[in-house]
Amino acid sequence: MGQITVFAGGFGSGKSELALNYAMSKQAAEHKTVLADLDLVNPYFASREAKDMLESQGIRVVAPRADLSFGDVPSIPGEIIGMLQQDNEMIVDLAGDEVGSLVLGYLKAFMQRKTIFYLVVNPYRPFSQNIESLREVKELMEAAAQREFTAIISNPNLVKETTLDTIRKGHSKVMTFSESLGIPVAYLTVEERFYHDLLNEYGDQLRALRLYLAPNWL
Amino acid sequence: MGKILMKGNEALAEGALIAGCQGFFGYPITPSSEIAEYMARKFPQLGGIFLQAESELAAINMVYGAAATGARVMTASSGPGISLKQEGISFIAEAELPCLIVNISRGGPGLGGIQPAQSDYFQATRGGGHGDYRLIVLAPSSVQEMMDYAIEGFDLADRYRIPVMLMAEGTLGQMMEPIYVREPVKPAIEKPWATTGCAGRSPNIINTLHLSPEVLEHRNQHLQRKYDQLQANESRAETFMTDDADLILVAFGLMSRVVKKAVIEARKQGIKVGLIRPITLWPFPDAIIKEAAEKAQMFLSVEISMGQMIEDIRLAVDGAVPVDFYGRIGIIPNPEEIYSEIIRIAEREGF
Repeated sequence: MGQITVFAGGFGSGKSELALNYAMSKQAAEHKTVLADLDLVNPYFASREAKDMLESQGIRVVAPRADLSFGDVPSIPGEIIGMLQQDNEMIVDLAGDEVGSLVLGYLKAFMQRKTIFYLVVNPYRPFSQNIESLREVKELMEAAAQREFTAIISNPNLVKETTLDTIRKGHSKVMTFSESLGIPVAYLTVEERFYHDLLNEYGDQLRALRLYLAPNWL
Repeated sequence: MGKILMKGNEALAEGALIAGCQGFFGYPITPSSEIAEYMARKFPQLGGIFLQAESELAAINMVYGAAATGARVMTASSGPGISLKQEGISFIAEAELPCLIVNISRGGPGLGGIQPAQSDYFQATRGGGHGDYRLIVLAPSSVQEMMDYAIEGFDLADRYRIPVMLMAEGTLGQMMEPIYVREPVKPAIEKPWATTGCAGRSPNIINTLHLSPEVLEHRNQHLQRKYDQLQANESRAETFMTDDADLILVAFGLMSRVVKKAVIEARKQGIKVGLIRPITLWPFPDAIIKEAAEKAQMFLSVEISMGQMIEDIRLAVDGAVPVDFYGRIGIIPNPEEIYSEIIRIAEREGF
């Protein structure tokens, strides 16, 4: 039986890019892969924008209907309830903060199989600057989702201005958060261009990301 | 401190806090809501006031009341909400109350959509409300400028006793860029006119009703002199490769960065093209455009609207050269399509 993998975190922590990359890495697996875009809060830069690319790779995308995707009202795609209970590799991309995690609490009754609940942390975002504000957001998200986080994904970046130094300093900050919250760090995610330079340092924990949602017009 | 990664809306909200903003009164609307959310999270720790009003009308009148006490206060919304606020904005302009009004704009008319647009240009620069009044309108083009112009906006508002509007496309509110967080500012401008309790002095009265025609005309002349002063001193624009340009593109906000990319590409092909980016949409940078029109052969206004700023460009060039238009709505034109438009014009005109 495939598992459910949920990416949650503060607004702009990198959830959608992580969910897309995770889905792309799962496509060859034996289970059917489904990416559920449950960002019901804000449709700007959501993973549904990459729908065509995902579908061409055989990944099913569940998202608010095209005519509702800019509807500015929360709409949960109806088929999600069935798909959560079928045998598939289910990847869920949530909206940010506790308002984004609320939908998970609503769907809890339908999520009876193994579920991984990731807290995505970019320590360069305003509300992940210190342990106090991160703890507050984390606790609000857990309460809304009615579920405890399984692990942290460390995603330290300043988008185009990221350097190796940005990653190293940011990741060590995330490690102190991890210790303080008592939640292990599962992965350190970096853009592909940094992967080889960091592989020896971070080994198995390191994952390379390809950015699919960054606007190409700037 | 190093850079942090912020959304445009967050950077703007943080900029307001840096400027010493003490109150936010608003009603949420996409794509501006993160500003309210940021303030709701921060103000309880800072001792400021966050109030989600029952309506946009209530919110703008709370801004009116709070600004009358001399506090730095603000509101934020998007096109439909700004429309509802127009009556209050007209009152605030006549009462000469400094405040910051933010429009993270989306496509209209009507409810329109929530995708990015610049079609509130007329509303912002022509004063959507009644009476002879103006706002200073600032158009940031990056997340850093969202913060910086919020800080500067409060300063301009205090200096001129005028409401300042900051207008940005929805995308600029939503996108993230690494920025430097500025040092906190201590507002330094005295406000002897503020209604702060009149112990030891005669009362300050803030009122916009003038039943005597002489007083009404006097008030209007007073406001007009202030607007003249603003036009003379505060209009701002950025120019890029305009000196020898045959064709000058004009674009503001995030759009101007996309246009700049197309201009650089066209220059590589040897086409003499430049860019003027108005930073203040009002006062509009007439003088800079008029001067450029002495050498350039043609202007092209690029907007995320059906053509609004083009009217101000035409007024500024005053018939000296033709002004063409390229625009989309709800969709930001990409550098390739602007480049193609430059090539099409260059071939047609023989540039």
